[in-house]
Amino acid sequence: MPAPLRLSRARDVPRDAAAGSAAPAVDPSPLVGTWVSFDAATRGLVRVVVALRGGRLAVRAFGASSPAPRDWGEAEGDAFAGGVDGVGGADRVGGVGAVAFTARYRFGFVDTLLAAYLNRRLLVVDCYSVFGDGSGRSSYFSRDHFYQPAGSASRA
Amino acid sequence: MTTLQSVRADDQLGELASAPPGEIDVAPLLGTWWATDKATDSVVKLELADRAGSFVVHAFGACTPAPCDWGERPAVPYAATVGSRDAMAFSAVYDFGFMETLLAAYMKGGILVLDTFNAFKDGSGRASYFTREFFHR
Repeated sequence: MPAPLRLSRARDVPRDAAAGSAAPAVDPSPLVGTWVSFDAATRGLVRVVVALRGGRLAVRAFGASSPAPRDWGEAEGDAFAGGVDGVGGADRVGGVGAVAFTARYRFGFVDTLLAAYLNRRLLVVDCYSVFGDGSGRSSYFSRDHFYQPAGSASRA
Repeated sequence: MTTLQSVRADDQLGELASAPPGEIDVAPLLGTWWATDKATDSVVKLELADRAGSFVVHAFGACTPAPCDWGERPAVPYAATVGSRDAMAFSAVYDFGFMETLLAAYMKGGILVLDTFNAFKDGSGRASYFTREFFHR
């Protein structure tokens, strides 16, 4: 008899808890592609490119900068489903496959956590940034909304 | 205008000559926050407190017959801009051993919006999952 699952809350319980432990790997493909900010005048992120590298998420963000966007380079991301079964419920976000991701950028003078989720076919990216350069700037939160231009999705 | 190292325009102080003095004021976030969904199967309550200058979160998960007490963890406060001192968001990490949970939350219009990013480490086969919930004081 398998050991009881450890829980932090009711949602940690699979719908069919007796079904065994077949790994429901999170399908990251709904996140893959190029995402462009709805706000052409954003001072945050102008574009996010999500790709698969050896089955893992690779996130590449571009910050608003003049005269050209600042390429943040690629950071490894983690994909999340809408539930422990790999699917979302009626009250949950999304359906089969990944509905969210996180990625972390460490630039030296600032660390930025990207915490993103899909809302239908809109990608919402929240940035949590902490400065470590002694400039006195506050850690700050920002949020940008992105769409996928037609043909830019690249399902792996 | 002071030009500082940045990776996007929002990192700059704008018209401010320098950052305002002092630390981020966590007072706007403090208190007990209750899930708006009384039947939630995720997080039912958050307590945000200032412990002698240390900002902490105490979360409670939906469990039967009583909520699961996650304990208190340090939290990182965030302002709305680099030149603001009023906290309006926070992040924190709970490592339960069998699972790691990232809390990422922000306040808007008196409502606290909490995202959780949950990754199992126990080989149970459960998928990493995301939740989004709303809280009121």
